[in-house]
Amino acid sequence: MSTVDELRDKLELLQGTLEVLILRSLRAGPNHAYGISQFLDTQSDSQFVVDNGSLYPALQRLLQQQWIAAQWKVTPNGRRARYYRLTPLGRKQLVAATSKWQRFVEAMARVLAPEG
Amino acid sequence: MPRWWSKVRYALQRRRGLDDDLGDEIGAHIEFLYEENLARGMTPAEARTDARRRFGNSTVTRERAAETWRFSAVETVLQDLRYGLRSIRKTPGFALLILLTLALGIGATTAIFSVVYSALLRPLPYPAVERLAWLGESTPKASGVSVTWINFEHWRNENHAFAEMAAFNWTDRTLTGRGDATLTHGLLVTSAFFHLTGWRPISGRLFSLADDQPGATPVVLLSYEFWARTMGADPHAPGEVLDLDGKPYQIVGVLPPGVKFGRAVDYYLPLGPAASKTVNRSQHGSIRALGLLKPGVSLESARADLDGIMRRLALSDPGPEDDHRSYAGSLTETVTGDARAPLMVLMAAVGLVLLIACANVASLLLMRGVARAREIAIRAAIGAGRGRLARQLVTESLALAVLGGAAGVLLAWWWMRALVLAGPASIPRLAEAKLDLPVLAFAAAAAIFSGLLAGLAPLLAAQKLDLTLALKEGSGAVAGGRRGNALRYGLVVAEIAVTLVLAFASGLLIRSLVVAQTSDPGYDHRHLLALELQLPGGTYKTDDARRQYYSQLLQNLRAQPGVESVGAVNMPPSAGESSDFWYSIADQPAPQRQDVPITLFNIADSGYFSTMGIRLRAGRWFSDTDKPGGPAVAVVNEQFARKWWSHPRLAIGHRIKYGGPYMPGDVFQIVGVAAGVSQMGLDAEPYPEVWLPFSQQSSGAMVVMMRTAGSPAGLIAAARRQVASLDRNVPIQSLKPLDEWLGTSLELRRFLTALLAIFAALAMVLAAGGIYGVLNYWVNAHQKEIAIRLAMGARRSAIFGWAAGRAFRLALAGIALGAFGAWGVSRSLGSLVFGFAAGSPWMILGATATVMGLAALSAGLPLWRAARVDAVRWLHDF
Repeated sequence: MSTVDELRDKLELLQGTLEVLILRSLRAGPNHAYGISQFLDTQSDSQFVVDNGSLYPALQRLLQQQWIAAQWKVTPNGRRARYYRLTPLGRKQLVAATSKWQRFVEAMARVLAPEG
Repeated sequence: MPRWWSKVRYALQRRRGLDDDLGDEIGAHIEFLYEENLARGMTPAEARTDARRRFGNSTVTRERAAETWRFSAVETVLQDLRYGLRSIRKTPGFALLILLTLALGIGATTAIFSVVYSALLRPLPYPAVERLAWLGESTPKASGVSVTWINFEHWRNENHAFAEMAAFNWTDRTLTGRGDATLTHGLLVTSAFFHLTGWRPISGRLFSLADDQPGATPVVLLSYEFWARTMGADPHAPGEVLDLDGKPYQIVGVLPPGVKFGRAVDYYLPLGPAASKTVNRSQHGSIRALGLLKPGVSLESARADLDGIMRRLALSDPGPEDDHRSYAGSLTETVTGDARAPLMVLMAAVGLVLLIACANVASLLLMRGVARAREIAIRAAIGAGRGRLARQLVTESLALAVLGGAAGVLLAWWWMRALVLAGPASIPRLAEAKLDLPVLAFAAAAAIFSGLLAGLAPLLAAQKLDLTLALKEGSGAVAGGRRGNALRYGLVVAEIAVTLVLAFASGLLIRSLVVAQTSDPGYDHRHLLALELQLPGGTYKTDDARRQYYSQLLQNLRAQPGVESVGAVNMPPSAGESSDFWYSIADQPAPQRQDVPITLFNIADSGYFSTMGIRLRAGRWFSDTDKPGGPAVAVVNEQFARKWWSHPRLAIGHRIKYGGPYMPGDVFQIVGVAAGVSQMGLDAEPYPEVWLPFSQQSSGAMVVMMRTAGSPAGLIAAARRQVASLDRNVPIQSLKPLDEWLGTSLELRRFLTALLAIFAALAMVLAAGGIYGVLNYWVNAHQKEIAIRLAMGARRSAIFGWAAGRAFRLALAGIALGAFGAWGVSRSLGSLVFGFAAGSPWMILGATATVMGLAALSAGLPLWRAARVDAVRWLHDF
């Protein structure tokens, strides 16, 4: 029962936000899909539900935009994994999207803030 | 558009490895989760299961990720299509059967539509054709009769509804001075005619207002075909002279190839100079008018406008036709009117055939749907949505329909060629039927419609599929479920019903044709040669000259060996066009002006009746004593006599007043009564008719009938020689055995009947296939049940009866439904049924018996199989 409540309390991702979050997660360095979802989970204090059914298509869309590139590499503990990294185009996109989101968040906060 | 470009590049790289990459990536992801779980202290088995659970549906994830690389809408359709085509390839016999069925239905429908489109729907090739109106006068008895020249001039000058108005009149003239005298066809027109048709000359000029004036120099405008044929396409033709009926006409121009108004003519002449000789409002020729409605003016208000003019004229210029009003109909409808009913019947019939074809395909797809129930259930179980499954099924049936439609268009091409070759001349523009864009669009629409219709049944059945049942091994209940069964039986019932309707309709028409062909037309039509002549008006101006000519010709022909007797008549039986006129009976009370009766007036010589073998009911035929200037006499037919008197013999001695009591006209005494002769064709009832003696009422246009000892065709050459030797300048309009004349009067009926019979046969073959298929399927699905019943001691005859009972109930339901349809058909066929009552029970009983027989025949094999189920083998299989 608690899991259901937990799920209900979690935030649904808005359209287009997952892509920005992925780009942000790759700013620190290349990572694989599992790593990305780990990162998003911890950074959001498990507030975001990132289901793999959305994560993988989002990764493909970013590849198609050429904002990220993929490469098979071996992990530190000897496993093969597909690593994604930001391209220069992706870096620019991240900057643009970040400032856009910040403006959005501020505007939302101003509008929703209690009067006075 | 980098994203789009990446997709294209990816598509060009043939998506090498994407699926593998995604698979490996997801595998690695799950491995990470697994290791994380191990680190948390789970057992390997727990860790594995939990990792999978936490990852979620890996197949869906993989598919969704792969999907982002596709042009999704197109891709899914292509994927469905690929899948559909694969399943078609896997069951080629089944697919071929469906394709053939669809091709037959769509092909026949498309071919008939091409004819319908050409005859009824394709716009006539004139500018602003939707505003062109066909104008004539109407009387209290008849509408659309000819307009008199003076009335036309009033209409043209005083109307407010028309932008422009032209009069026209067909004419036949003898061409001389260019080889043998030939009969040529022309159209007399006023100069405005060419504005309305939008024609431009390829050389010379059209008619001008000056050509419309009385006393204008006679001019002629040639059709391209006549110019090419008769003048060798001589570029210097304009300026030359053409001799028509012995009168010179100056050629002023040549029209472009292919243009025509109604039937093709050789040339056009100005109508004005000839028509303006008329002096009163009741002097009718055969003038009709063409009007271009002003934009926004309806036919009704145009008619009201012209009626107003007629009412004013009745006051200012009273005459015998003051009760005449106007007639205005759309040109398109007037031209296509007669062919409309038969073509609509054909279109409806072929549409029914297409429906049966769809029903068959639907039931085939249903059966395959059952065979695929498990496959569909598995797809649903692993996450295919209902919408996705439906799209797959519909795509498959559409793919089949499109292939079937393509094959159907090929078939339609052959069909259409055959229709054009075999079709009667009375279907307008039949020769112009072609598979052009609108017809192909129709074929495409028919194919898509068929695909959707046929695809509907398996779709409905699939929606109700019970997954748990379907997935159970060997479950008998997979058989499409209750809904699938109901659909299948419904389809059979519908097929039987439609087949019954078609069988009934074609039965009605076949019987009508037989009646028309075998009914006694009132004379002996065999061994008669008909020679149709039209004396040139210029040379044969007087009654005497015409009588002189015909009496000499008949005498010469009678002297030919092989000719038994000779007679002449103005309008032979089945000539169709004939002249009716008002009359009254002298010693009967005069009718009201609007009730003056009309009858056919014909002209015959003294030898005509005996030559034709027409039976005399009372009195006598014409004789040599009926001299010009002597007491005027008439012979009437039985129908005429019975209209007025209780017995034909009582008609003798009464007098007929030509034109009725309100018009000047001669009085004829009835001297004889003939048996009924159907004037309008073999498939029309005889109409009251009056013959006047040629010796007292001459005409230049006569048909000479020769009764021959042997084959009438053998005398054609001799007859032609006799005509030429008497006067080279008299053209022969036609010369052929009377049977050929009569044949053409039944042409349209024969055509219609043959096609309807073909469609009924097609329907029967398709329905037989449908019944067979469904029953066969039923027996297959119930073999186990039958085996158990047999094992429990049921007799084979009881099994047979059980299965037959089911078939019989289906047939009965279909017949009950079809009988309703047949009742509707018998009412709507109307005038196409001739010689007996369409509602007569025998025809419906006959059709029912035929369809029952058909059902029994096609049910036979499946029923036999039901009774022969090998119980032992089936029970071993348990």
